[in-house]
Amino acid sequence: MSFTMRAAKVPPNSASLDEAKNRVFDLFRTACRSLPSVMEIYNLDDVVTISQLRSAISSEIRRNSHVTNPKVIDMLVFKGMEELGNITEHAKQRHHIIGQYVVGNHGLIQDSASKEKGMSDFLKNFYKSNYF
Amino acid sequence: MAMKAAVLRHIRLSAAPTRTLGLASPASCRWGGVLGSVFRSLSSHGDDHLSKDEVVDRVLSVVKSFPKVDPSSVTPDVHFQKDLGLDSLDNVEIVMALEEEFKLEIPDLEADKIDSTRLAIEYIYNHPMAG
Repeated sequence: MSFTMRAAKVPPNSASLDEAKNRVFDLFRTACRSLPSVMEIYNLDDVVTISQLRSAISSEIRRNSHVTNPKVIDMLVFKGMEELGNITEHAKQRHHIIGQYVVGNHGLIQDSASKEKGMSDFLKNFYKSNYF
Repeated sequence: MAMKAAVLRHIRLSAAPTRTLGLASPASCRWGGVLGSVFRSLSSHGDDHLSKDEVVDRVLSVVKSFPKVDPSSVTPDVHFQKDLGLDSLDNVEIVMALEEEFKLEIPDLEADKIDSTRLAIEYIYNHPMAG
């Protein structure tokens, strides 16, 4: 209940790219500061270190580094906040965290290169995301 | 904040002669004695404040352990983005790593200004709670 109430609060759109950028950094800082409690909640001490998780977060952010529309960035920041809220509220389980952030997106896919060989750049980008 | 840091550093300097009572001049000895006895009994901090060398060592080791950084190019006077080829997100990541290492919480406005090892060392050395 408490979480749904907090999630309903949406800040106004960023006026400029700089403001959106600062929101991204704020999100990153908040996420980094909540890492010690995440380590504790999900018992991750023997699987991963805080600095590895920090790099995982920054690479998640960097995946969207080509986005230049402030509204899209705001939306992505909102999704990031939502994800962070879910994680710190213990709405996930340990294997979710390990699968998504420790093993990584491409952890279990070994031969994606061979499948993508005949694909055009357009199709690769199409599968990857909508935001261009 | 700046004033607090300045006062703390002053106290630490003037308290130092208490350890070498025989060698210090009478004036500094008296001040050192008075300040030392007053402040040491009231504060659990201050005595264990970090030395400059320790701060430099630990900041450099944090920066060197950053995955994208070539450890041999890290010096006490290196700019994260200009010299190490990092971007602004890496910069924030390094500052967060420093926060974790020294158990600090650096306010966002201050954190934005830290863009080189020299500034990081200076900020952490002057921070009274760095540990």
